[in-house]
Amino acid sequence: METHKKIMVATMGKYKDDLMEYALDIIQGRKTEVIGIYVVETSAPFLTPKKVRQMIRAELRKRGEEILESMQQEFQSSKHFMVNFRKMLREGDPAAEIVKAAEEEDVDLIIVGTGKNIIDKRLLGSVSEKVVHSAPCNVLLVRTR
Amino acid sequence: MFEVIILIIALIISLIIVIKAADVFVDSIVEIGLALGISEIILGVTAAAVGTSLPEFGSAMIAILTGSPDVGVGCAIGANIWNIAGILGISAIFAGLITTRRQEVRRDGLMAILTTLTITAALFFIGEISFVVGVVLIIMYALYLWVLIRAQKSSKESEMKYYEDEKKRNLGKKTILMAVMGLVGLAIGCRAIVYCTVELSIMASIPEVLAGILLAFGTTAPEFFTVLTSAKKGLNSLAIGTVFGSNIFNILIGLGIPSLFTVIPVEPITIYFDAPVMVFITLLLLFLIKRGMKLTRVEGVILVASYIVYIVTRLYFF
Repeated sequence: METHKKIMVATMGKYKDDLMEYALDIIQGRKTEVIGIYVVETSAPFLTPKKVRQMIRAELRKRGEEILESMQQEFQSSKHFMVNFRKMLREGDPAAEIVKAAEEEDVDLIIVGTGKNIIDKRLLGSVSEKVVHSAPCNVLLVRTR
Repeated sequence: MFEVIILIIALIISLIIVIKAADVFVDSIVEIGLALGISEIILGVTAAAVGTSLPEFGSAMIAILTGSPDVGVGCAIGANIWNIAGILGISAIFAGLITTRRQEVRRDGLMAILTTLTITAALFFIGEISFVVGVVLIIMYALYLWVLIRAQKSSKESEMKYYEDEKKRNLGKKTILMAVMGLVGLAIGCRAIVYCTVELSIMASIPEVLAGILLAFGTTAPEFFTVLTSAKKGLNSLAIGTVFGSNIFNILIGLGIPSLFTVIPVEPITIYFDAPVMVFITLLLLFLIKRGMKLTRVEGVILVASYIVYIVTRLYFF
């Protein structure tokens, strides 16, 4: 099996623990660089008031920082000494930003969750699907429910 | 037929103008307020409460003051029913789940039901919205705003952080010009909306109240996009808070302010059907939310179905 030296764990908050568990399982005690990425999705329909857009952006940034902080605490605990963790908070289209960041950072593996159930995927589309289609590296799709 | 199409296009364009003008106006007023030294918390809370509801308020105000009170009343009450049963229902269906916090339901939900009960009781006993009723409504809103500001001040995790970068701005001519332009856009747009709605109701031979109720689909577009977007992104407090905030504003200010200028006559159908439906829908939402402080997809379907039953009944039986 290919060993991964640089892994990107992409999360929107939900299923964060599942993704981290899989990441640690893959790392298996090897020295690995892990980038936790959270993308603030700034898109909103045309008639959404500007103040609401600002409020949504501020709220999502706050949430993203909290999620990344909690990931950092877990990955940097003494039992995971082999992990060199880094936070990354970006804004824009989640799938596009994850792929762009993976290219820029030259990561070996992106770990994402399958996310929503079938109804939600049909209604809203899936970030993971888009990442799988255009990722520059291997993608581990963790089945999350 | 050609005239109808032109009026519908004019109505849609006016709605977009009004929504964008409201956006510019609120934005500029916040900047002016900050430059004048008004607390950013007061400005933030007020802007959030008023922002999405200006199109309903403007349309109701202009309609009532230009001799089409039924359109104004229909728009305010219609918007409240649509906000809960339509907008929140559809958002719950799309988002799958909208959660809320007990303290928000206790404060905003209670105020929303108190507001609908007050206006419904006033209509039952007085049959119109008089000056005194208007004053009571406005006092209620002032008290609610005071409670909101107090809650915001005591909250350590202030949601108004996004105003921080605007704090020390000087008041520029451009800001004042934008505020004036926003206000003018609002006034002209709302006048055009009311004109198109009244003309369309005459052509389609539907009562003006019903035209106002249907107009609410358009004037609540900012709420629709706010609630749907925030629910999809999991910002649940913003989703439910917008609906409660808008419903409280639509009645207390949307009907309260115009009634200071003129007595607002109200049709019996609104007193005995629309207003009670508004109370019922508000109670239904509180009942659904209270069970676990959340709104599920199934409950969203229940809300939307309630709206369909209401609007079909309204269209075909009255």
